Amino acid sequence: MTLAVLFPLLMAAVCGLLARPLGRRSGYLAALGFVPALLLAVPLAGNSVEAGGTPLAQVTNWVPELGLNFAFRGDGFSLLFAVLIGVIGALASLYSVAYLSPHERFGRFYPYLLLFGGSMLGLVLSDNLIALFGFWEMTSVTSFLLIGLWHTRSEARDGAIKAFLVSALGGLGLLAAVALLSVAGGSTLLSELDLEAVRASPLFVPALLLTLLAALTKSAQLPFHLWLPTAMEAPTPVSAFLHSATMVKAGVVLVAKFGLIFGSSPLWSGIIVPLGVATMFWGSWRALKQTDLKALLAFSTVSQLGLLMALYGLADAEGRFAATTHLLNHAAFKAALFFVVGIIDHETGTRETFRLSGLRRKLPLTFVVAGLATLSMAGLPPLGGFISKELFYEAMLHAGPGFIAVAVIGSALTLAYCARLIRIFFGDFRAPEDDGGRLLKSEIHEAGPGLLLPPALLAGAALLFGVLPASAEWLARRAGTALGFAGYEGHLELWHGVTPALLLTLLTWGLAALLVWQTARVYFLQVHLEFPVSSNRIYRGLLIGLETLASRLIAGTQGLALPDQLRITLAAAGLMGGYAVWRAPQVFQPLEGVPLSTLPIAVLLVAGALGVLLSRNRLTAVVLTGLTGFGSAVAFLAMRAPDLALTQLLIEAVTVILFLLVFRSLPGFRSLPRGRTRQIIDVGLAGAAGIGTTLLILASLRFLSPPISPYYLENAYKGGGGKNVVNVLLVDFRGWDTLGEVMVVAMVALAVGSLVRLGRRGEARSENDTAPTLPDLLDLQERRP
Amino acid sequence: METLFAILIGLLVAAGVFLMLSRTIVRVVLGLTFIAYGVNLAILTVAGLRQDSPPLLTLEGPYVDPLPQALVLTAIVIGFGTTALLLTVALRAYQVAGHDDVAAFGDNLARDPDAPDGQHADPEHLSPDLPEMDHAAETAAHLAELERLRRITR
Repeated sequence: MTLAVLFPLLMAAVCGLLARPLGRRSGYLAALGFVPALLLAVPLAGNSVEAGGTPLAQVTNWVPELGLNFAFRGDGFSLLFAVLIGVIGALASLYSVAYLSPHERFGRFYPYLLLFGGSMLGLVLSDNLIALFGFWEMTSVTSFLLIGLWHTRSEARDGAIKAFLVSALGGLGLLAAVALLSVAGGSTLLSELDLEAVRASPLFVPALLLTLLAALTKSAQLPFHLWLPTAMEAPTPVSAFLHSATMVKAGVVLVAKFGLIFGSSPLWSGIIVPLGVATMFWGSWRALKQTDLKALLAFSTVSQLGLLMALYGLADAEGRFAATTHLLNHAAFKAALFFVVGIIDHETGTRETFRLSGLRRKLPLTFVVAGLATLSMAGLPPLGGFISKELFYEAMLHAGPGFIAVAVIGSALTLAYCARLIRIFFGDFRAPEDDGGRLLKSEIHEAGPGLLLPPALLAGAALLFGVLPASAEWLARRAGTALGFAGYEGHLELWHGVTPALLLTLLTWGLAALLVWQTARVYFLQVHLEFPVSSNRIYRGLLIGLETLASRLIAGTQGLALPDQLRITLAAAGLMGGYAVWRAPQVFQPLEGVPLSTLPIAVLLVAGALGVLLSRNRLTAVVLTGLTGFGSAVAFLAMRAPDLALTQLLIEAVTVILFLLVFRSLPGFRSLPRGRTRQIIDVGLAGAAGIGTTLLILASLRFLSPPISPYYLENAYKGGGGKNVVNVLLVDFRGWDTLGEVMVVAMVALAVGSLVRLGRRGEARSENDTAPTLPDLLDLQERRP
Repeated sequence: METLFAILIGLLVAAGVFLMLSRTIVRVVLGLTFIAYGVNLAILTVAGLRQDSPPLLTLEGPYVDPLPQALVLTAIVIGFGTTALLLTVALRAYQVAGHDDVAAFGDNLARDPDAPDGQHADPEHLSPDLPEMDHAAETAAHLAELERLRRITR
């Protein structure tokens, strides 16, 4: 299993390296990358999974102290999903070989695709919660790269950013949820969580809500659905992969898996089921409005995801069984349809429904494939979609009458947009033209086997699931043990007698026929019925608000003059330090015996500091600074550090000389007023800094760990051959540090030299002084037209 | 003795911070020097001030801690380097700006509220972050501003 997850990542590197010589053929390598995932079908087919035997488990230690491991666990559901990812990933890779233009940047496309597939595999197989979060975010990042593949188009950029922002927001929620869960459950392994403890914990509800945030954003549920339609800016093979097996299903996986933890709470289904059903309705309503085939499919995914979410959200055996069946059906028909739309786009040059008609005559094979997949999506017999839709109705019957109504209307709308989709194949053939009336493609002919085979296989699966329901049931049952519906007795059948669900289906068909009959009126209604609040508008508003806030903040804090900026920094540091001091245990030692000899030192140090503050003459100031300098030299002597005292004395002399040199070309001390408020603030800040330093020193007087100095004292002579331990330390033990210090001094010397040489002559120019004044800015703005 | 020094160091740092917040550039440099004095003494003080022998093996033990002394030795030299560099930067700033008032040294960021990155990449294409902006108007404003500055200097 680790192999299955890591192999695509490995192949991504290989593909990236070989893309130049191989060109589009590197797609075959990419398909190869999904082979280990396909091999997971072998354990899946075995009896152990179904019978509830021990699932596959693999643990690779990473940072076990922090609970960070690559723990993979192949229970029935995870394996089923992994195989799904493998199948569609491989098909998408093969399809894209024929689909993409030879000038595409394959060195990016296939590695991104493989990274995406690999992280998705990791997400479904991971048992470790933290690794799960990691893979979750990896899918966000890689889908960002894939959606933005054609980054020269602003729509692609916008779509990528939108998808990333929305799903990363949910990702943060997941991180918090995972942390809460592992704290409450006492383990970072999903399979080892103490469910009783989690349910009893006060962290249960926050974790539930945060998990929901993650699942809803990733699976594009109602308030967060805005990113999915714009994600269709990705190349079509990617869309097929993203919409059918991966990215958007991640949230479904999360709801399915975590439903076992949270499902006991009424809050869980109370939030998911209404949102899911609402999303189903809204998605199909919007899908019916689209004229772009891909947009239609994108909104249809939103709708179908709502259905899946609602089923898993019920958190009972029946719902999970129905959802798993529909998951398989949806993956089959949605990927097939995306591939078909890719073919149509590829062969005719357009995806606009009103430009296409009668394609059945030119693309007969594509028509058959599209027909099968569409029938399945519409939920018509004898295809897989019909069976899972019946199950959906069955489940909604238990949820309540309101849910049934919305579900029926949503399904009728689904049928209607399916009709719109399939209509492009009927009628008279008309060669698609652009707005200027020119032909988009001079000749339209059937797609090659490279384009047709992947959707044909998937449509075949959709047909198989319908004609032979036992096949779908057999597959769905694999997930039974993991999702807790192993004991559920329901069976998949095309005809199960006259049940309420069947009556609902007939009602749906009637409604759909009405919708199709009144197409023009429905369209009129849709165009004129605009909702004032759209999540896209909210998103834009938030984005603009955030940008404004950020630039205001930067302009307000970074563009200030030096003293103001320092004040802000110091105030922030003071606040944080003050909080620390307030919280810290207070340690104060009494003023123990002070030798009389230190009193002159104290006087020297303080006199220098006070003198500089009061001096009005720069020469006095420098001399007084020297006073403190010499004071500290004497202090070093008193502290038994003769080397330091010597160095300090030397440096002091040089500093004074330096100041005197500089003063030749600087003006005298001017008294620049600070203003009364600033004066008070400055005194406060200085006082806080002083008191803070004092407290810090007093607090650090106790040793936190045993001192390492005895080592130096013992080894100075043996190791360094010198009797002055400080010197040996600098030159031998910390030789590299000293070398670095010498480099710093050398660089300072260079910088000082060049700065002094630059400014031989005073060249004061006012326009180089960039201080902005208010009149300046106003003047500037007035000049702008 | 440590308490006495802690208080002294606090005074030095307070004086240094107050000086750093003033507007004259030389005072800012002096303020930094005072903070450096304080920090040097603090490193030694934190290690504990005992009346033992200096860490010279020719003398009789016990010795005081040699490690902070080595650290402070480095710190003194680096502190001097910083002071020297700051002083020359101050000198150069005075030569270029024509005054030594730190509070009047501005920042380009505050200058142009329309350019998000605060500086123009080139006059033809003023703000690369906003491709859809009307560059003609922006260029005109920029040129007008340059003209105004030229008039002032003349």
